[in-house]
Formats: sequence, C-alpha cells, structure tokens
Amino acid sequence: MKTKNNPLYYILFIAIFAILLPAGYLSGLLSVNTISVWGRYFCFAIAALGIDLIWGYTGILSMCQAFFFCLGSYGIAMHLLLKKTVAAGAVLPDFMAWNKIDTLPLFWQPFHSFGWSLALCLLIPALFAFVIGFVLFRSRIKGVYMAIITQALTLAMWLIFLRNETNLGGTNGLTDFNTLLGYSLSSSSVKLALYMISFAVLCAAYFFCYRITNSKFGKVLQAIRDSESRISYAAYKVVDYKLAVFVVAALLAAVGGMLYLPQTGIITPGRMDVKASVEMVMWVALGGRGNLKGAVLGALLVNFLYSICTSLFPDSWLFILGFLFVITVLYFDKGFMGLLESIKQRFSPTRFKTPQTTH
Amino acid sequence: MLMCCLLLLPLKVAAQDSASIYTAQLLQPPNDSVRTQAIGRLAALRIPATFPLLIAINDKKLYLLDHKAVTVDSKPTGEGTYRLYSLYPDNILLTNSSGQPLLLPLSALQTVDIPRADRLQLAGIAPLLNLFSNDAQKRILAYTQLKNTGDSATLSILQAALAKESNADARRTGKDVLYAARLYSATSTAAAKAYIDSIGDNWSDNAPVLLRNYAKAGFLNQETAHYAAAQAISLEKRYDSLQRIQNFFSGLSLGSILILIALGLSIVYGLAGIINMAHGEFMMIGAYTTYCTQVFFTHTLGIPQTDLFFLAALPLSFMIAGAMGWILERLVIRHLYAKPLESLLATWGVSLILIQTARLLFGDLTAVKTPQLLSGGWQVSPHLTLPYNRIFIIVLTLLMVVFTYLMLYRSRLGLQIRAVTQNRQMSACLGIETRRVASITFFIGSGLAGLAGCAITLIGNVVPDMGQTYIVDSFLVVVTGGVGKLAGTIFSGLGIGFFTKISESFFQAVYGKVFILVFIMLFMQYKPKGLFPDKGRVAED
Repeated sequence: MKTKNNPLYYILFIAIFAILLPAGYLSGLLSVNTISVWGRYFCFAIAALGIDLIWGYTGILSMCQAFFFCLGSYGIAMHLLLKKTVAAGAVLPDFMAWNKIDTLPLFWQPFHSFGWSLALCLLIPALFAFVIGFVLFRSRIKGVYMAIITQALTLAMWLIFLRNETNLGGTNGLTDFNTLLGYSLSSSSVKLALYMISFAVLCAAYFFCYRITNSKFGKVLQAIRDSESRISYAAYKVVDYKLAVFVVAALLAAVGGMLYLPQTGIITPGRMDVKASVEMVMWVALGGRGNLKGAVLGALLVNFLYSICTSLFPDSWLFILGFLFVITVLYFDKGFMGLLESIKQRFSPTRFKTPQTTH
Repeated sequence: MLMCCLLLLPLKVAAQDSASIYTAQLLQPPNDSVRTQAIGRLAALRIPATFPLLIAINDKKLYLLDHKAVTVDSKPTGEGTYRLYSLYPDNILLTNSSGQPLLLPLSALQTVDIPRADRLQLAGIAPLLNLFSNDAQKRILAYTQLKNTGDSATLSILQAALAKESNADARRTGKDVLYAARLYSATSTAAAKAYIDSIGDNWSDNAPVLLRNYAKAGFLNQETAHYAAAQAISLEKRYDSLQRIQNFFSGLSLGSILILIALGLSIVYGLAGIINMAHGEFMMIGAYTTYCTQVFFTHTLGIPQTDLFFLAALPLSFMIAGAMGWILERLVIRHLYAKPLESLLATWGVSLILIQTARLLFGDLTAVKTPQLLSGGWQVSPHLTLPYNRIFIIVLTLLMVVFTYLMLYRSRLGLQIRAVTQNRQMSACLGIETRRVASITFFIGSGLAGLAGCAITLIGNVVPDMGQTYIVDSFLVVVTGGVGKLAGTIFSGLGIGFFTKISESFFQAVYGKVFILVFIMLFMQYKPKGLFPDKGRVAED
C-alpha cells in the first residue's frame, strides 16, 4: 500500500527551515535564539523518528527512548566538559572537585578524544538497547508489559543519574561548556552551523527511515505490528527484527541527544524522567504514528506549542498537554497527519480511494 | 547501703532544717545580701527537696501566693490561666477545694524578683537542677552531663531524681550513668558482674560502648573485663536481630502500601486490559480528600484535636476517588477498550490534568496531621518500636484484601467481573452487562486507590504528584504478580516490599531499586505472564 508521495510537503518543509529561517536570521528579523530553539526541535524530531519506527511501525511501545537520548547528550557533555577542564589547566571538572573526588573516574577517560566520544555516544546506547531488547523480546514481553518495564528501567536510570556518586553531576547535570572542536559555542555563527547540521541530520534520518519503512525489512516490521503470531508462523525470526529496530531507534535517539547538547548547553537527568519519556511518545502520537512525516511534525509542533504556552500562560501548559493527549487518542487516532489526510480526502475528487490504513 | 543511710540520716535532718531556714530567708529577705547568701548556701547544700525552688529561681518563674512559694507551667491553659505548683517543702500540683487543679492568671500572683547576680550562683549546679526539670529532654541531657562523675553526693542526688523519673528514655539514660559509676567503683568481682548485668538489662544506646570501654580499661580484674566484653557482644547481637525485625516490618508495611495501590490497578487492568496511568492520581485524590476532611473538621466545624476526621475520611476518600474513576471510565476509557497502548497515553493525559488541578487548588505542599490515636508506636522492646500508623496500614491492607477476595470470589458481581476479564464478548453473549460491570469495577478499583491515598497521608506529605512516586512500583507489582490475579498481587507486592527493604540494607536505596528491576526482568524471562499464569485455553492471546 504505497502512498503516492506528494513532493509539496518536502518542498515546503525545506523552504521554511533551510531557507526562510536562516534568511530571516541573516536579515536580522529573527534572533539567533530562535534559530537555536528550532535546532533543538530538530533533535527531538530525530528521536521522534526512532520512536515512530519502533512504535508506529513495529507496535512496540518503548518508554526508554528518553534514556537513550540522554546517553547521547551526556557523552558529548562529558567530552565538552573535559576539554574545558583541560584548557583551564585543571584535572577534574568543577563538580567533581566539589564532591571531593581526586582522580578522574575511569569511564570518563575515553571522552578526552572527540572521536572516541562520538563512537561511545553511539555504541553505549546501542549496547544498552541490544541487551535490554534481547532480554525482553526473547521472553516475548510485549504490549503493555513492554511499556511498563521500559518505563521502570528509565525510572531506575533516572534515579542513578540523579546521584552524585554516579559522577555525572547529579541533579544539576552537566553544564557550562565553552567550545566544541575549538569553536566557541556562544558565537552566533556556530549556533547557525549547528542548526544547519541538525537540519541536515534530520533530513538524512528521515530519508534513512523512509528507506527502511519501504524496504522488505520495513514490511516485516509492519507485519509484526499487525499480527505478530502470524508472521512468526511464517518463519520470520521476530526477535531479530524487533531487536534490530530497537537498536536503530535507540541510535536515532542518541544522535538526537548528541546534537541537542551543544545547542542547549545543559543536560540534566530531568530530560529522562517519567514525564519526559511519555512526552516523547506523545509527540509521535500527536503527529500521527505509523507516519514518518507525522513524527517530525508532532515533535516540532508540540515543542513549539510548549515554548509558546509556557511563556504566555505557564500554569496551563499541563492542562493543554493533557487535553491534547486525551483528545488526540480519543478522536484523532492517526494524529495530526491523519487529520490532514482525512480533510484532504473530503475535498479531493478521488474521495473513494481507499485511505492509508495505519491501524 | 543501709548503714550509710542510717549514718546520713541525722545529718540529713540537720540539713533539712537549715534548708527551711534558708528558704524562708530567701522568700522574705531582710536585705539583699541575706538573700544572696541564702541562695548560695542552698546551692552548696544540694538537697533534692530544694531543687524545684532553685529551678523556679533559675527559670525566673518564682511567684508568691499567700506568702507561699509557687511556680507555674511553661504554657498557659486555654484562657490565659496557669496551673500552679507548690515548691517547698514538697512539689505538688495545687488544687482548689473541689479537687480540680487550681487555675490562676499571672496577675493574681506576686512575682519574686531575684537579681541576675544571685541567679548566677546556681550555674554550677545547673545539671543537677535539670535532673528535676519538667522537660524530659532536659533531664536526658542532664543525665548525660553527669556521665563521668564519681562523687557519692552527686550520685545520691541522681538516685533521688531516678526514683521520681517518669520518662522511659530518661530513666534508661539515668540508670546507665548510675550503674556505670557504681561499676567503676565496684570493689568485688561479684558486685562488678552484677552491675554489668544491670547495664545489660537496662540496655541503653550507649551500653555496648560503655561495656567495651570498661573491658579495655581492665579495672578490677581480668574476669570482669571478659564478662563485660561478652555482655557487650551479646547486646550487639540482640540489637542486630531486632534491627532485622525492624527491617522486616518496614518491608511488610511498604509491601502493604504497594498491595493497596496495586489491588485496584490489577482488577482494572485485568478487566479492561488497559493501563491506567491515572491510577496514582486517584490515590492523590484520596489523600486530598483526607486533607479536606481535616480542614473541614477543624476550621468549618471547629472541632480541634480530634481523630474523628480520619474515621470520616476513610470512606469519603474511597467514595470520591471511586466516583472520579467512574467518571473517567464513562468519559474516556470506555472508548478505548480494544486499544491498550492508546489508553495508556490518554490516561497519562488525564493524570497530567489532575495533577495540575490539584496544584492550582492546593499549592505544592500540604500535610495531614496524624490522628493522635495513631501517633507513637508500640514499644516491643527497648530498641524495637513498631509505629502505630504502619500497623494501621498493614491492618487496613489486610481488610481490603479480604474485602476484594470476597467481592471477587464470593459475590455475583465478582463472578461477572471474572467472566468479563476472561472473555468480554462471550460474557456479553451470555447476558452480562459488560459496560455496567466495567463501570463498577472502575469505581471499586479507583476507590481502593483513594483509600491507599488516605492511608499514605499517615506516613508522608500530600503533594500533587504523589501518585507518580508509587505508580511505576505498583505497575511492577501488577506485572510481576500477573494481571487480575489477587494472589499474584499480594505475593509480588510483599515480595517487592521486602526485597526493597532488604536490598536497601545492603546497597543504597537507589541501587536497591535498580537491583529489583534487574531481578524482575530476569524473573520475567521464565515467567512472562507473572507469578500465577492462566493455564489452558484462557492463556492464549
């Protein structure tokens, strides 16, 4: 059931974010902060693509994507902090000195080098995802059970990251960086560059996910979602497929996290608490799951709404979000994209064409 | 001892007489220097009978009533009047003719002004005076200050204070000091052993250290030193085993809270097949109902200091949380029965709304005052206290488990609930009104959560996001126990409760939690459907 791809969406998307926004900044209409904020939303959108792959296409509700996101962020943060510490002539980051630690913990050592940091930022989440996925999928834990256990896992990790003994900054997290590969993070041209990089990575991630979902592999994933037992009777190794997509989703989340960090300049365990992890899933639900465009759109829209609402009426954001959750789930099963599709269907002359089913 | 008393007796009588003279001089001094001298003499005499008087001087609470010295309570009774105590020769509560405590305002009393310089003469015997203070905390401090005194006069005063001691902790501390002093001055092996035994029986916090120090110093002889060391070890062993019982009890109470929350969750989940993320918020609603009941009782009805509100709050929190659950089922969940993952998100949205509503209504932190009946604890032995509020929670859980069991397995409604849990369509075909059953189940499940919230106000604050603290844990209980299984919920709730507490004594709390999670994940490897899985065809998807 291949849908005809309407290039209009892509053209509009690229025109707005790759041309209009940077142009607005260069002509002085937009502040560099706006650019940076949208750069951050792109990172969320990258993670949302991963969630869409695992939840929208495979039907596994994983609540630990926020944790993978944070693993990516923390890895880069450790590198930046070490660079700053070495440049200042110190041996230990400030917070460790405050916690009365005298030697750099072993797991911080590899993060001196940028290359190693990048590799570890991807390897560690992938490894985590592999182990967790292997244990869970092998015992055929699925559906709600899967959601609860991954949620509990995120909670446990959150608790660990909150502690000072973990040597990752505790509740305050890691913050106060100045340079990335020698470029000052506070300069506006670096911010613009990071924005453009995030955008490019988002486009690449989208293309990658698009290829996956339209490949044979992607079809098997959707078959798992629609009827897991049938596809396993057809001699497909369901566990392997699930495991693969789980690792890919974790990697996407980690990439999002890695790009997110230099643009916000702070990472705290708050990014992976229960609320954050459910919210990430909600982006996809609101945008339209089983639909890659929906995932991207959902992440961008919810976060944009968040920044507007928290500045205009801070008390009501949770109300708005809560009602959005309920209404979306009750009435707009396919999210925002589903709503667009149904509106389009109503007004298009070919209204008797079978609509795309996303179950 | 007796000899000693007999010898002291004439002396004591003489001292008593002079104390009376000095007291009289103090209260009606011909001039200031006589008063100064009288206070100095009284301080030097150190007669316990005069201590109440000296304390009154020290605290500037000395008054005259009909030319007799009296003092007052530290706090007035309701209407600005005070209870009065006579000071010398005896220290008793004054009563009026009908035997009721005599209550007078301060204006009815004549204040006796003692200059500061005179009061300073008492500084040297302040610890001794404090032994007779009305404040138990002060007395405990005074006992510990006297720890290393060996002189017999002080010890006899200490003994006099102990004879009057009413507070158990203070008595234990005091006896410890007394026995220790006697032990160090003991001259025979038998006497030393007897004092070591007394210290062991008394068993204060300090006892093992004290005995070890004695053993190390090697007073008297080798035998007593060994005896003291052995006694210290046995005390420590007993302490450890009591600690283990305390841990066991904590595990039991944590487990019963988890059961109380998970009970409702499990029924609802089993019946509707949906994850109710707002379940923790029903608990929060129950807690706020309790808070509101308290406010209503104390402020609106104007009944202060009563436990009645809690009795009223128990059924109220059940009803209100249940009603909210019923509304939620009607408005949202009814439309989502076939979609477990969607309902998870929708109920999460509901929980966000509820939390924010609570925050706007009540602010960030409120607390319910523990009913007087449930404050304190049952002191099983010196180092083992089981708090009443935790015992209450355990009993409440027990009752609720029995109630749920009867409801599920011994009533028509329960039969219907179990039928719908097993197969919704088939039950509908057989004439069960599945929608009505679902509503009632939701009512009961949410009500149980509300009751849990009411119980939790006994041990913690009431905050808008309190539900979130327990929700993941209680989901773990449901997952481990198996969905909709009463026995599974009980076993896994208790198991997780105990496990948490036990692992907390080995690791820190956080790592304990991680440890439990890993354990559950491994457990699910070979029991993916929980502790008590369905057998046969029901087990199929």
